[in-house]
Amino acid sequence: MTPASSAHGSLSDAVDTATILVTTGAGGVGKTTTAAALGLAAARRGRSALVITIDPARRLAQALGLDDLAAEPQPVDVDAAGRLDAMMLDMESTFDQLIERHAATPARADAIRANRIYRTLSSTLSGTQEYMAMEKLHELHDRGDWDLIVVDTPPTRSALDFLDAPQRMTSFLEGRLLRLLMQPALSAGRGYLRAVGFGATAFMKVAGRVTGMEVLDDIADFFRAFDGMYDGFKARAAEVLVLLRRPTSQFVVVASPQPPPLREARFFVDRLEQEGLHLAGVVVNRLHDPGSGHDPAALVAAADALATDPEPEHRALAAALALVAHQSTIARRERRDVGAALINRRIPVLVEVGHRAGEVHDLDGLAAIGGRLTGEVAAPGDGAPIDPGDPGDPRHADDADQSDDHHDQPRGRP
Amino acid sequence: MATASSDAPPRTGRGTWPVHDGHDDLFGANVLLVTGKGGVGKTTTAAALALAAADSGRDTLVVEVEGRHTLSRAFATPPWDYHEREFRPGLWGVALDPAESVYEYLELFYGLKRVQWMMERSSALDFVTTAAPGLRDLLLVGKVYEIEARRRDDGRRRFDTIIVDAPPTGRIVPFLQSPTAVTEIVRVGPIRRQSAQIREMLLDPRRTCAVLVTLLEEMPVTEAVEGVGSLADAGIATGAIVANQVVLPAVDGPDAGLVAAWSAPDVIAAAAGVGLDLDAPDVSMLQRQVADHRRHLARQRHLANRLATGSTPILVLPDLATDAVDVPTLQVLADTIARQVGAEGPRGRDVGPLVRDLLEGDPEDRDDRGRP
Repeated sequence: MTPASSAHGSLSDAVDTATILVTTGAGGVGKTTTAAALGLAAARRGRSALVITIDPARRLAQALGLDDLAAEPQPVDVDAAGRLDAMMLDMESTFDQLIERHAATPARADAIRANRIYRTLSSTLSGTQEYMAMEKLHELHDRGDWDLIVVDTPPTRSALDFLDAPQRMTSFLEGRLLRLLMQPALSAGRGYLRAVGFGATAFMKVAGRVTGMEVLDDIADFFRAFDGMYDGFKARAAEVLVLLRRPTSQFVVVASPQPPPLREARFFVDRLEQEGLHLAGVVVNRLHDPGSGHDPAALVAAADALATDPEPEHRALAAALALVAHQSTIARRERRDVGAALINRRIPVLVEVGHRAGEVHDLDGLAAIGGRLTGEVAAPGDGAPIDPGDPGDPRHADDADQSDDHHDQPRGRP
Repeated sequence: MATASSDAPPRTGRGTWPVHDGHDDLFGANVLLVTGKGGVGKTTTAAALALAAADSGRDTLVVEVEGRHTLSRAFATPPWDYHEREFRPGLWGVALDPAESVYEYLELFYGLKRVQWMMERSSALDFVTTAAPGLRDLLLVGKVYEIEARRRDDGRRRFDTIIVDAPPTGRIVPFLQSPTAVTEIVRVGPIRRQSAQIREMLLDPRRTCAVLVTLLEEMPVTEAVEGVGSLADAGIATGAIVANQVVLPAVDGPDAGLVAAWSAPDVIAAAAGVGLDLDAPDVSMLQRQVADHRRHLARQRHLANRLATGSTPILVLPDLATDAVDVPTLQVLADTIARQVGAEGPRGRDVGPLVRDLLEGDPEDRDDRGRP
């Protein structure tokens, strides 16, 4: 159970005591899997947990009982001391929900939905998804039904967008441009236009020439329909921020061991500190197995010496040694990259998850990752006896669609 | 140590691995839009394709649309800007910027010199470039259209191949449909007319093709297969699927069987014979890693077969296990692409055995499983 050189601690404290955990990181690093594994670990450790996922892999969704769109929390069938619920945020209809919830009247909501600009822009209006994830978190937290809520964050271009999104959306909706566009249609006093200056009127003229005034009217309609909703957006965004700043709300930054996601992780760690948000720890997924303490060069030399041996057994050994030398070279470099990316940062916990856990198709696989995150299972290469069953039996090598790739079952807890 | 022999009979029931027939096939369209799920190596693939295109004698432009400067970094050049720059013989780079597109557009069509200043003052730019991705996308696609339409004095296209590091699969269809969306909103005027012309370029497979990049992992493969479908629904042809970072077989099936049946003392003695000091845990570790490796290869095969069900040609890029993408790495990948499309070239990895392994597996494995 000796942790690998750069890894330290586990997320067991966060899993046992936090009330909100937010997983964040670059796209494709295993954020959703990590979120689900944390929720399951909490349930196994006796807590009642809810996982809010976004766009999970099909098999993961099935494992969580989310084959159908589950816009409300659904119980997950787990054998655990606690309880696990899961839900999926439907990103397609988030904006519709937002309108429905906050429009002053149903008629106003209809007017917005019928607007041509809205129909074109709603699904992609920047920050909407992030805002809705936060709003959903707020709502579910208020219910008080769970000890812990784990939130996955949308695959934004940059992990940092996530923190800025609510602010960006509200400032856009109440922005100067908006008031400007509404001005001609509202035919309110000319004082405002004078204040904005020459640029505004000229812009209106240009825009009118390029797109036709009809489009401008649509835009004005669109924003007018939102009138009165901005305050609600802003108030809730502020409340969510207060909620996230509480010490029991913690962030788990997820990365894979390549320089770009690691860079993103470092930026996010810095950003959390600036914002006064709490970092539970960093999880690095998909690390290669360091294998052993042998110098890769020594392994390669031995492999070369054996490669021409007439004995088939020896040639097989040569191939195995060359493979391990290769893996271990990558593993060492990955750990060096992780260390370099997080240098001089205060990282309370750094957990490394092995390459084999990369794809998870069932609750056992999730539980195995959860075990890694809470320190119940050692990382591959830590000397833990992994896969006592059938190492290397080629008959099992093709069970690609079976979940045979995470044999490191949790040990030490039921 | 060879994998399946090259003269293995074609297998029935699974079809054949669809491949490109030469550079003209791969680079048949003027514009290649490279997309894929986040984290699959979209940008690296775009760069490698661009190198391969340039090496084949095509004047090639690489287009960055997300403003992250990852392409220029991969090519080890200073960050690109809005003006194409030839950074290698036959290879140009450009980083598109929606704001610049707005200025250029308005200046070009309306002769408005002071537009930039005006737009900055009125914060209209925020609206166009951030708040309204539909418009933003249209500006970017429109710029690609403008570049594609350029001609040399002799009437040939200015760039033979334009490779766009496009938005990820999740956003590619809205990105490409932005001209359609605009024609719905804007009923008259120049914007509507131009949007229709842009659509024409996107829907013509001789002018525009998508290239879908994926890892041989479940989610990316699912997204790639779905991506081909949703692009087809939007009328956009997919010219190639690229399986990226494919692990090369290091231990074949028979050897893996021998490893699994090892007796630790024998192995320790054999290693000692060549001066390597192993102990029993080392032997288990070797067995475990070989088993993991074989499992990984099996999963790759399984997922490769999911990709190979259609008729879209597939390119395989090996996992070079390099840290950062640099020019020598890109060159190896570009040469590997060239070899796969049947072009002459001494360099590059021969991924033929890998491809055969992906599609067919070891004869040994097949017999064990009793599958066809």
